[in-house]
Amino acid sequence: MLEVDHLVTGYGGVPVLQDVSLTLSAGEIVGLLGANNAGKTTLINSLSGMYAPMSGRIRFEGQDVTAMTPKQRVEIGIIQVPEGRLVFPEMSVRENLLLGGINARARTHRPRQMDHVLELFPRLQERLGQKAGTLSGGEQQMLAIGRALMAEAKLLMLDEPSLGLSPLFVQYIFGIIDRLHAEGLSILLIEQNLNLTLRHAQRCYVLERGKVAVEGASDVVKDDPRTRRAYLGL
Amino acid sequence: MRQEFYKTLMSPVWLVILVLAAVLPPLLPSYYLHIVILSLVYVALASAWNIVGGMAGQISLAHSLFIGTGAMLSTALLLKLGVNMWLGLVISAVISGAMGAMIAWIDFRFQLGHLSFVLITLAFAEMGTVIVEGWDFLGGASGLLLPQDKGDFLAFQFGGGIGAFWVMLVLAIASILINVAILNAPLGYYLRTIRDNENAARAIGVNILRYKVAAMVISAMLSSVIGTAYVRYLTFADPYLLVSPIIIIEIVLFATVGGLGRAYGPAFGALLLVPLGEILRGKLGGTLPGLHYFIYGVVVIAVILMSPRGLLPLFEKWFSRARPKAATTK
Amino acid sequence: MAEFLQALAQGLLIGSTYGLLALGMGLVYGVSGVVNFSHGDFISLGMFLCLALYSALALDPYVSLVITVPLMTVIGGLVYWYLLRPMVGHQFLMVVQLTLGLSLVLQNGILMVFGGQPARTPSVVESKLLILGDVVVRVPHVIAFVVSFAMAIGLYIMLRSTDFGRSIRAVHQNAHAAALMGIDVSRVQTLTFALGIGILAIAAALLLPGTPIQPAQGLRYTVITLIVVALGGMTNFVGIMLGGLIIGLSEAYGTIYLSDTLGMLLPYGIFVLIMLFRPQGLTWSSSR
Ligand SMILES: Nc1ncnc2c1ncn2[C@@H]1O[C@H](COP(=O)(O)OP(=O)(O)O)[C@@H](O)[C@H]1O
Ligand SMILES: [Mg+2]
Repeated sequence: MLEVDHLVTGYGGVPVLQDVSLTLSAGEIVGLLGANNAGKTTLINSLSGMYAPMSGRIRFEGQDVTAMTPKQRVEIGIIQVPEGRLVFPEMSVRENLLLGGINARARTHRPRQMDHVLELFPRLQERLGQKAGTLSGGEQQMLAIGRALMAEAKLLMLDEPSLGLSPLFVQYIFGIIDRLHAEGLSILLIEQNLNLTLRHAQRCYVLERGKVAVEGASDVVKDDPRTRRAYLGL
Repeated sequence: MRQEFYKTLMSPVWLVILVLAAVLPPLLPSYYLHIVILSLVYVALASAWNIVGGMAGQISLAHSLFIGTGAMLSTALLLKLGVNMWLGLVISAVISGAMGAMIAWIDFRFQLGHLSFVLITLAFAEMGTVIVEGWDFLGGASGLLLPQDKGDFLAFQFGGGIGAFWVMLVLAIASILINVAILNAPLGYYLRTIRDNENAARAIGVNILRYKVAAMVISAMLSSVIGTAYVRYLTFADPYLLVSPIIIIEIVLFATVGGLGRAYGPAFGALLLVPLGEILRGKLGGTLPGLHYFIYGVVVIAVILMSPRGLLPLFEKWFSRARPKAATTK
Repeated sequence: MAEFLQALAQGLLIGSTYGLLALGMGLVYGVSGVVNFSHGDFISLGMFLCLALYSALALDPYVSLVITVPLMTVIGGLVYWYLLRPMVGHQFLMVVQLTLGLSLVLQNGILMVFGGQPARTPSVVESKLLILGDVVVRVPHVIAFVVSFAMAIGLYIMLRSTDFGRSIRAVHQNAHAAALMGIDVSRVQTLTFALGIGILAIAAALLLPGTPIQPAQGLRYTVITLIVVALGGMTNFVGIMLGGLIIGLSEAYGTIYLSDTLGMLLPYGIFVLIMLFRPQGLTWSSSR
């Protein structure tokens, strides 16, 4: 479904991602692990089209999307839940959800999608008229995921969804991720939380200073000594 | 760093300029002499403004106050109170310096930031216009007429024409040299530090207030002195010319076109645009008033879009490419 | 007392249109961070277009809107797309200089076409008066008041309850997140700028009847708009409309109870004080 080939991306001509390749099949949960500053967010933003790559290509469902704008990528179903949630703080929960489904493909199905999201997150139903900025961190993460679902994602990419959440909320969010996977969604899960991700993902990549250090099925990655090393930055 | 300044001071270029200045003006028809003088006025003003606008990165639109004080106040002091214009020049410069210091203090005290600074200085400029137009002592809306220039040096008279040319030449060169001196002195270094990152400058203990005030006071006093000399050349103290925000907008645009923050950038912009504008105005001003301003606007937009750092860096590049062996003098 | 009420009416009526002028600037600032120093010259452009249409086709300014609004909207869109959009990511100060350059171009373009003499554009309602007890108000001012508030309310509803309005607010609140929703940020910024200039076309026609116009007036309008925006809070809808009324009132009362000069200084004085002590304006941004 997703193929990333020898991707190089950077800021101001200085490469951050150096020759990253990865694949993701339809219906898979793939984990992307890495320490702080490994380049995870840079990668997910490249997949969303926020930066033009310096070289390499990205294919999605057989189509070359390397040159596509962020808007075009949203329209073919590549949806990101950004690091730090980035909900629109001055808008109500309802308005945030409506904005999630603003792209041309999803726009007309918004009422149906909204029902689905609110059924998934009953908490949001109660807070529908409340400003997003006044929600707790966990509720904001629900909103961010709900907003992405409104876009009718085919590939859902989550950037550190557990960041700053209490263990209970982390459990809850990962439960939701499992459920979405069971419903058939393809998921790219970016995390620093090693054990949790290895438990939920089928395959994992470990990113170290912009390069893929380890890849493979989760149990293989788990036992590979290079994983911990990449992680601790040794 | 000081050596750079002395090297500039000793440069043979000055000799060439001096010879040209001595030989050319008597040969020029008076219309072209006028254009040369005007160009020098704007070279001086743009360079003076550059100390604040370019080096410190603070787009001050309040400089029309200083130019206006130098022009209107010294004239009013002479006409209404009989104060010798040399003394008037000093009084105006001191008042301008005080106003500059106040603006710099306000900027520092309220941590205005770039946008608020532009807006507040624009408001000050507009207030200046309203005050001058409404205050008869300064000539009100109709302006003031200076006595004829008989060349009496002690009365701040230079005999018009060639005399005014020399005065403006001295002011323009002084203004540029002050730029070179500041750029090569600690003050220039600190101003750039403040411009590029005020918080970082604060964090490493730069005395921001001191440098901001210093830059503004030097720039304001210089602008005021140029204003006095300019009004003596014009003879008519016209508030719509000398106190209006348009004069400062012109200066900002000349400096931007030439290259902000460089010693010769603003002068370069003024030397390029003022003659162009004046010749256009002379040829087409009757049929198309405003054409020269229109062209200034188009040029500044084009320069910002194509070479945001101004034209001087562009020319330097061409120049050094054309003569790769030449010593690079800045 | 009659004088007091008269000034009150006058100030409120004109102030509403100042508010409308400022809404356009606030919207643009909110989505693209651009402070447009040629704002007032676009108002001039709107007024002189009305004058041209009157001279050529004898159209009333209110009728001319059918032509000037679409025209100015398109001009605004083109200006943003070709001049301002390339500046994104550059130093903010360059945008100041660029719009100052644009101001010279507009002002002197108008001067070249129309000449510098003050001109008037007649309207059928120009000299009609409305008498309410002691207070006499001019009908064009009443029209300006009604239309300005109707426009403000319309804009508010548009921002709250249409997809385009929500896109504008999304870009204002977090442009990166907006792009991740599939919103074309440049497009929204361009359309907002176009909308802002289109609003100016309407405000221009509202201010026109009975007012002599000349090409050099632009900067004054820019400054008035900046004052209102600073007073109301750059992106605060209600605050901006209130700011417009306050400036309208301070002008009206200033010229009655103070000398001419002091009256004209009053708005600037208020502006400087607001900028110094409350950089966010009178009310905190809450409606967006
Ligand atoms: N906008 C940016 N501009 C310049 N450098 C950046 C930017 N964003 C991230 N970086 C740099 O890129 C590297 C990778 O950052 P990031 O992708 O955010 O890592 P991660 O998400 O894995 O923590 C870091 O060294 C960071 O400093
Ligand atoms: Mg990250």
